[in-house]
Amino acid sequence: MNPSLAASCAAHTARVRSRRSYVSAITLNLIIAMVITVPAYATNSPTIRLFPTTVVEDLRQTGNVARDMETGLQDVIGRLDQQQQLYQESKCDGAENDTGCQRLARQIGATYLEMLTIMEERLPDMEHTVNNTRISLEKGLRNEIGKKMTPWTLQETLLGTVSATGETSVTAPTLRGRSGMRLSERFKQYYQLVATSGSRGDQSLAVLASDIYLDMEETSTLIERTRQEIARATLMEQLNQSFGIITPEMMEVVGGVKSILFGDEESRALVAGPPPGSLEQAYRSPLEQ
Amino acid sequence: MTNTNKHSFKIIGVIAAVLMLASCASNPPVCSSPQSRNLDSAINSVKSSLNSGCQAQFDRYYDDLLMIAEGDPKPENKRAFSEFLVWSSEQGLLSTRQAQDYYNRYFNVKFMSMRGDYNNCSHTCPNQQKVLFDMERELSDKERGLLKISTDADAYYRADRLYQEVELVLEATCTACAASR
Repeated sequence: MNPSLAASCAAHTARVRSRRSYVSAITLNLIIAMVITVPAYATNSPTIRLFPTTVVEDLRQTGNVARDMETGLQDVIGRLDQQQQLYQESKCDGAENDTGCQRLARQIGATYLEMLTIMEERLPDMEHTVNNTRISLEKGLRNEIGKKMTPWTLQETLLGTVSATGETSVTAPTLRGRSGMRLSERFKQYYQLVATSGSRGDQSLAVLASDIYLDMEETSTLIERTRQEIARATLMEQLNQSFGIITPEMMEVVGGVKSILFGDEESRALVAGPPPGSLEQAYRSPLEQ
Repeated sequence: MTNTNKHSFKIIGVIAAVLMLASCASNPPVCSSPQSRNLDSAINSVKSSLNSGCQAQFDRYYDDLLMIAEGDPKPENKRAFSEFLVWSSEQGLLSTRQAQDYYNRYFNVKFMSMRGDYNNCSHTCPNQQKVLFDMERELSDKERGLLKISTDADAYYRADRLYQEVELVLEATCTACAASR
């Protein structure tokens, strides 16, 4: 054999061996990973994949965008509150022709415009991250629950596997109806729930994913409508600036923005507790399914 | 007594006998409700009626037994109903599937209304409202079986929570399924 060819063959063999040992190492790692992972999921097979890492990242990002928007608006909304208070204390309601009141009204209008501008700047980012989360969850729900499950398997997934002692695994609290919560807090809570979802059963993941998805749907529609309204409200306020009028609509919009962003203490939603009791039964019928 | 009279009595007697026999032959079995308020005695009475040609009244008897059990709620009632339904299945009065339906509808957390062999997008979502309506009705039967008859409040509350979870997950899943179209 040609020495150079032999050397080339030897090098090739060495490369193949090296690749094989590399592949073996990967395979071994995979097997070890499976051995470690399987017991954790064995209690809730088949495992459903509703929260890929992209969703977790999207939720974190949405929380950050919401926090930035809150920070940016906090100052301007604080100023609006002070100006409104001054307007009321000066008894300007009904005295719109007074020069001082007109000046105050214009100041309020200018701050209102500032608020709309900040929202207009921040909302596209918010819309983008919310839509990303919504689309990822939509795909997961459709494939994992919509197409891979029958109603019966869905029911069994939600009930969870009953352990030998008869106790079901802990489920996450149901979160629907969080109108009283800060937007960034809400996403932070979602993120924390999803990030620690590895320790939860599939039953709570399905509920959590559905809950977040429906909320994202609503938020997405709301953002779209808000963006359309901002353009209209900006134009109206620019016109009002020349007359120094405070419209009831302005007060309403500010109130709405405050309750969405910063929550409303009075209407703070109650978070449901764990399911009452366990399913421990003394008797199990042969007819039971 | 004249011969004519004797003859008339004979004819009347024959007619009466024929009528009596005919009435016996066409009389349906008396399927009366169990009189005892004790569940075990009531079950025995129902078993005997079912064996005497009252199979068609099974639904009514089952309801009678549920009502009697409501009068003396205890966890053991669940077993009594299960054994009665197993007996009914063995006697050929019910198929195994019917017996399972009768039992699980009242005494199990799982909903029989959620039985189905096709995936949720194709089968459950187009009938979402009907499925939820059926589940709601089944939940009231579970309230009767689990709460009022077996005093198993935990199981009933879990069924109630399951209904709410199914409602939420189906709403989200069906929205997701519809979004792909």
